[in-house]
Amino acid sequence: MKTVIRTWVVNGKKRTLEFPPMRRLLDVIRETMGLKGTKEGCGEGECGACSILLNREPVTSCLIAAGQVPDGAEIVTIEGLELTPEGQELQRMYVAKGAAQCGFCIPGMLVASYAHVTGDHPDNSDAALREAHAGNICRCTGYAKIIEAVSAAADHLSHDDEDDDS
Amino acid sequence: MSASVSSTYRNVGKGLPRRDGEEKVRGLAAYADDIPVPDGWYGAIVRSPVSRGRLKKLHFDPAFDWNRVCVVTPEDIPGENVVDMVGRDMPFLAYDWIQFKGEPLALVAAPTRALAREAAAHIKPEIEEAPSILTLREVVDQFHRDPKELHQMVAQTISKGSLEQGFAEADIVVEGEYWSGHQEQLYIEPQGMVAFPEADGGVFIQGSLQCPYYVAPELIVTLNLPLEKIRVKQTAVGGGFGGKEDFPTLIAGYCALLAMKCQKPVKIIFDRNQDILYTTKRHPSWIRHRTGLKRDGSITAMKVDFILDGGAYTTLSPVVLYRGILHSTLGYKCPNVFVDGHCYRTNTFPNGAFRGFGAPQAIWALESHIEVCAHKLGMAPEEFRLKNALRLGDSTATGQIIAEAMGTPAVLENTLAHSNFVEKQKRNSRGNPAHDVWYGVGVSFFAHGAGFTGDGESRLKAKAAIDLELLDDGEPGINIRISSTEMGQGTFTIMPQIAADGLSVAMERVRCPQPDTKYVPDSGPTVASRTTMIVGSTVFDAARKLKAQLESYASATFFGNAPTELTNGTFKNSYTSDTLPFARVAKQLIEEKGPQRVYHQFQLPASLKWDQKTFKGDSYPSYSWGCNVAEVEVNPLTLEIKVTRITSTWDIGRVINPVLAKGQIEGGLTQALGYAVMEKMGIKNGVFDANRMQTYVVPTAMDVPEMDIHFVEYPYTHTALGAKGVGEVAMDGLAPCIANAVEAATGVRLTEIPITPEKLLEKLQATASSAI
Repeated sequence: MKTVIRTWVVNGKKRTLEFPPMRRLLDVIRETMGLKGTKEGCGEGECGACSILLNREPVTSCLIAAGQVPDGAEIVTIEGLELTPEGQELQRMYVAKGAAQCGFCIPGMLVASYAHVTGDHPDNSDAALREAHAGNICRCTGYAKIIEAVSAAADHLSHDDEDDDS
Repeated sequence: MSASVSSTYRNVGKGLPRRDGEEKVRGLAAYADDIPVPDGWYGAIVRSPVSRGRLKKLHFDPAFDWNRVCVVTPEDIPGENVVDMVGRDMPFLAYDWIQFKGEPLALVAAPTRALAREAAAHIKPEIEEAPSILTLREVVDQFHRDPKELHQMVAQTISKGSLEQGFAEADIVVEGEYWSGHQEQLYIEPQGMVAFPEADGGVFIQGSLQCPYYVAPELIVTLNLPLEKIRVKQTAVGGGFGGKEDFPTLIAGYCALLAMKCQKPVKIIFDRNQDILYTTKRHPSWIRHRTGLKRDGSITAMKVDFILDGGAYTTLSPVVLYRGILHSTLGYKCPNVFVDGHCYRTNTFPNGAFRGFGAPQAIWALESHIEVCAHKLGMAPEEFRLKNALRLGDSTATGQIIAEAMGTPAVLENTLAHSNFVEKQKRNSRGNPAHDVWYGVGVSFFAHGAGFTGDGESRLKAKAAIDLELLDDGEPGINIRISSTEMGQGTFTIMPQIAADGLSVAMERVRCPQPDTKYVPDSGPTVASRTTMIVGSTVFDAARKLKAQLESYASATFFGNAPTELTNGTFKNSYTSDTLPFARVAKQLIEEKGPQRVYHQFQLPASLKWDQKTFKGDSYPSYSWGCNVAEVEVNPLTLEIKVTRITSTWDIGRVINPVLAKGQIEGGLTQALGYAVMEKMGIKNGVFDANRMQTYVVPTAMDVPEMDIHFVEYPYTHTALGAKGVGEVAMDGLAPCIANAVEAATGVRLTEIPITPEKLLEKLQATASSAI
């Protein structure tokens, strides 16, 4: 089978990979790279469990042909979130507030949370937080504790910023 | 009893963070598709293209190279070709009659998923098609014409007093018919299983499942292996909701049959489309109520016809029907009751377990109908419910006396107060054309039988073991050995809370590993809201036994036989007040006598009496109670329905972990919100029409309203722990609450869920035209 070679920055590290160009990015992440934290829930971009950051934008990796992702692209998966202070704070608050139940949607959900809190001037109102997570389906929690966790993390992070400024 | 124990609680009652939280937020939890399977093959399933017929032959395409793959047909099944569940009517692979579209006919394994699927596509069944019955509508039409023409899977009645007398005493009689459709569990992790062939001829099965001791014993006759040679271990489970209760036996069987034939590990992970098309759903229901009422608001007679669509094979349908009919009049006083329950076959995928297990259907009808009764009497809905709610000393339809204090009517009173229901009712629009937004508020009140139906727990004899041994850090601690699974609800957190308090040691010294039938006794399945109530109590009592053993050892070995007590990890000589840490005593005991295992078996109170034939007596060990008040806004132009706020109160007995318990309620209410207004699944050409996430729409973060949740604690007095069930009661009562609120908003009642703008439009137009 015809393959392509790509060099990406995955979770902060340069990785060179070979794969058939039409292989789903999700499969390259899970199978070729062995990063099993990213999950497949529906395979059609509806549930958000396979969300990752591609050049800082949250995308559903099941809908992307890996060959489309050019050399030099920056990919962050759940395994890479904890390398950042924002990711760590979100993880801490998810655990503290009881935001994870079965946990299968959580890697994708955290990617959505991370994209929101690291975005430009994030609106952390309840409605805006709900909208920011509307592409990620959770069947266990009813979302209340997820929103609570992101809100608390956003709150802590913005106070940290103030501390840094002073 | 509970007062003396409660003083020893240091962990029970606290909202401690979940044990598996960190691995889950770091993406490290290993689900079925994440475990390494070296040299593994992939399984695929050849399915029937017709809904009913006789299988003549399987044609294997001669152009395909069959040497590259492994095929299992009925002839390859080592034992009986039967799924050994409640009923024994379902074959593992159909060989004569086919009863539903998608029924498995043969299995294929290959080194890649693509090759396995390709091979499966080259096996063509030759089938003589026969007439089929596909929908509950057809069943109910036939039921009205001549029920004898239907294939009945199970029937059961409940009878109390005399209906004749009850209707004779009634001033008015109110009738109503209520329909509910299929509901998909939609756990986010699809079904997945791996079977590894073992050197001794046995098989080791790992995967996403709720009940290891369903899978292993149910495969004995099919695999022709003794129980010891069928080892089942749970991986991390990405949601179950009943969907991984009965179905995993099937997918485990497919993997095991293939693995035993090809002597390779075989893995099957469903994609979402397969998972929706070919796994169990909630049973659709048709329920007809006929109720006799007196002008003073009392209920004199309740007659209920209760029909479930079982799908093609029995699976767990009898048990679902029993729970359904038992909940069909539950919560209210009535001296004369007759419930006539039937489950009929349709030629569709067998329906199975789903959170609530018949109760959500029953309560959907009951709490809609109770509202209609109140209206017919001209009584306020809360007034009618308060008047008729079961109270201490009252009896249920089976004659069970409410013998201990429970959350009835406390949950109702509490919710009415917190929601300000009586005031809010004054704002109800009732379809007023002058209102820009139609507002409505509704209420529902209900109970859920906690634990197995009747004396099921006596027959099951749930066991728990506690192992005192050296943990991975080389220090003594305990491992809880139970077959109860963690699927998000918090088993692996609450069990250590309970065991630590039973033993009175630090929770850090307590582990609850993933269930593996090689190491754990049968604590029963993780179903029926029984894990905390029954298994939790059994773990607690086992821990108390170990505590007594340790105290006696410490007394004899270190304290000259002085009375000794272990409290918060410290042994104390009650004569001298000398102390020793838990680790010191436990380590010496393990060095001297080896690791210690303590068993305990759950026992129902001897006073519980149940007759499974007549359905008379104590139908459940106890009851959890719930009450919702839902507020809705309906757009008069688009008829879009928005649930804006839910206020609710719950009696789940003693709350072991309030954060996890609240998480169960929030999640259950959200699934119930979907059931009420979003999750629509019909049958088209014999299969589910909403067969992808794009078409089967469930609530997102933007659909879920603010939820104001309260608990009132009425502990179950038979156990020291006092917990009752929480998992299912949250799913039970929201649909009728929303229907009641929608009626308050629009002035019309919908009697079929899900309630959609389309159905609302039809009903409003029909009402308007009949008014002209």
